[in-house]
Amino acid sequence: MSRLRRREAMWFYLFASPWIIGFVVFLLGPMVASIYFSLTDWDSFTPPKFVGLENYTRLLTEDPVFWKALWNTFYYAAISVPLGLGIGLWLANLLNKQVRVRKVFRTLIYLPTLVPLVATAMIFKMVLAPSGPLNDVLGVAGIPGPSWLLEAIWVKPALVLLSVWGAGGATVLLLAAMKGIPRELYEAAEVDGAGSVRQFWSITVPQLTPIIFFNLIMGLIGAFQVFSQVYILTKGGPNNASQMMVPMLFDEAFSFYHMGYASALSWLLFAVILVFTLLAFRTARRWVFYETEVN
Amino acid sequence: MDGTQLSRRGFLGMGLAAGVITLTACGSDSDDKGSSSGNATAASLVMTVWGGENDKTTYQKRIDLLVKKFPELKVTLQLIPSDGYAQKVQTMIAGGKGPDIMQVAESVNVYSSKNQIQPLDELASKAGLDLEKRFGSIGKLYSYQDKVYAIPDRSGAMIVFYNKALFEAKGIKPPTADWTWDDALSAFKELTVPGKQWGYAGSGWWAQWWSFVYQNGGKIIDDSGRPAVATDEVIEALQWSGDLIFKHGVVPTQKQYADMGADVGGDQAFANGKVAVNTTGFWGISGLTKSAIDWDIAPLWRGKEQAVTAFGSGLAISRTAKNPEAALKAIDFLTSPEAQQQIIATGQDVPANIEVQKSDAFLKPAWMTKPVNMNVFGESSDFVYRAPFIPTWNEMQKAFEDGLADFWLGKQDARTALTAIQKRLESIVKPG
Repeated sequence: MSRLRRREAMWFYLFASPWIIGFVVFLLGPMVASIYFSLTDWDSFTPPKFVGLENYTRLLTEDPVFWKALWNTFYYAAISVPLGLGIGLWLANLLNKQVRVRKVFRTLIYLPTLVPLVATAMIFKMVLAPSGPLNDVLGVAGIPGPSWLLEAIWVKPALVLLSVWGAGGATVLLLAAMKGIPRELYEAAEVDGAGSVRQFWSITVPQLTPIIFFNLIMGLIGAFQVFSQVYILTKGGPNNASQMMVPMLFDEAFSFYHMGYASALSWLLFAVILVFTLLAFRTARRWVFYETEVN
Repeated sequence: MDGTQLSRRGFLGMGLAAGVITLTACGSDSDDKGSSSGNATAASLVMTVWGGENDKTTYQKRIDLLVKKFPELKVTLQLIPSDGYAQKVQTMIAGGKGPDIMQVAESVNVYSSKNQIQPLDELASKAGLDLEKRFGSIGKLYSYQDKVYAIPDRSGAMIVFYNKALFEAKGIKPPTADWTWDDALSAFKELTVPGKQWGYAGSGWWAQWWSFVYQNGGKIIDDSGRPAVATDEVIEALQWSGDLIFKHGVVPTQKQYADMGADVGGDQAFANGKVAVNTTGFWGISGLTKSAIDWDIAPLWRGKEQAVTAFGSGLAISRTAKNPEAALKAIDFLTSPEAQQQIIATGQDVPANIEVQKSDAFLKPAWMTKPVNMNVFGESSDFVYRAPFIPTWNEMQKAFEDGLADFWLGKQDARTALTAIQKRLESIVKPG
């Protein structure tokens, strides 16, 4: 290796070291430690007591709240992610058209993502009140609105509604990608007689698939880790109808002092997220289109 | 031209990183031995309390008095917002840098059962501090297995706030400690205007309906330390609370509360004149000094017996305290009449020191804008019941919250709900 290469390597490690050290100390270390703690009975004060796989077996076989929280989290992810993507795509497509005051619309659609979640949640509490604005609107359409946050069957849809509120984040990414699609493709399609619907499905969507894929993965991870909305709006109630994995983990660790149990819970959550991310990658080959891979 | 392609490994990395984010919440390094902070000076103390601005001011004023009297003591006050107090203190202790003096309340025995705070009997008797003389019946409130783990600091019974104007308009006499459940109910009925005004704010909070349980001769945890919530006494008391909402309509439903605004509960509804009676703690007073309604306070009514929940907090000395004697000396002064007067002078709370509770400074606080019957606190303290401060307090509260969700919506009766809760509590509460 030449001197120059060696010096370059040295500089590389020097500049990368804050992140390497940060990763090892603040991520890898705690991760490894939590594997151990997940095998112990530990209240965070007294020394941990090794119990083997007991935490995992108790979670999977005895704890009814765990299965409820897992099901709730699946429910939330399965609806909020596709819905958010669909709405994001639709909005991006609208914003891509030559309409007047387009920039104002863009700002308005992105604005909700900038509002702090706590403020949004407080507003949603009022919007979702039994005689709140949302139910007033439903009432005009002749639909009697439910008590969103109070009823076990409606509290999850209410949280999904809140997540859709933040669809503007995906919209911005999708819009930027739409702008990057070469005009020639549309021109060629038009010459071939393709209408706007056909153009959308045969050009826009395939060209956007890498971005859709990115949003899907990030959305999935985000949905499985949903915390603040639940914590602020419902605290998991009524009767755990809106309890999700991370709020449950938080309760176990910091409210009930079951640190070992909470560590086991976090590893199960990790496994769930990993499985879904891998699944998404497996199927990605079939529908995600990368131009650079075209021969 | 397409710079957005993401490699597979990059994605896995993201997944990994995201998984890790959840883990960092619980995977702290158990570095227990490394408490080599420079706390060598004998009387440099850290004190943690929770609350807001007024709490901070009040504690600081008391500490200033302490330091003036004992210049060798140096006390650093750390105010932690109430929401995060338990987590913060937990992390401090687990990291070997716990506070010397810490404020504790209902969950005191989380710490004492795990030896995170020190038993104080010996220290107190050495310092000549007589708990029963200073604090009356609540002197040994914060005990675990017959040892005292915290010195009472703030303590006030739950009291009845009533809307004087509404009572006078209906010709109803003010509530007294001798009212029975039936007296209360008939007053609530008269004070209710369906859909607009309610007689009572409700008793959905543990402090409220537990009072009725103990009034009815029931107990949440029996004398042998076992949960006892599926007994007839408890069921009857809870059913009475539920009937006020769904049978008699004298208490707003959760739906009606949700329609009053985000996070509106009994206290705000009372301040707005929507409910005629509310049962809450001392803090209700400061919320009402600016309210337009005409109000006063009274002691809680009675059932078969007199009983009421008390709120408060104590001061404990943590396991990591370097100098427990100095910490106790500080607590001794902080709970003395001189320092405790500050608690009422700023309108923060009811001081636990009974001498101060009986003083004019408490009965006629300078900041009070109207005459209020402050005697009520002293009167109520005679029938405060001893609430079960078990080590699994938080889990017990969660069991009630989950198990009563349907009950408070009127979808389940008290017997069904409490039978299920009893079962769950049996796995949470270990007699000890």
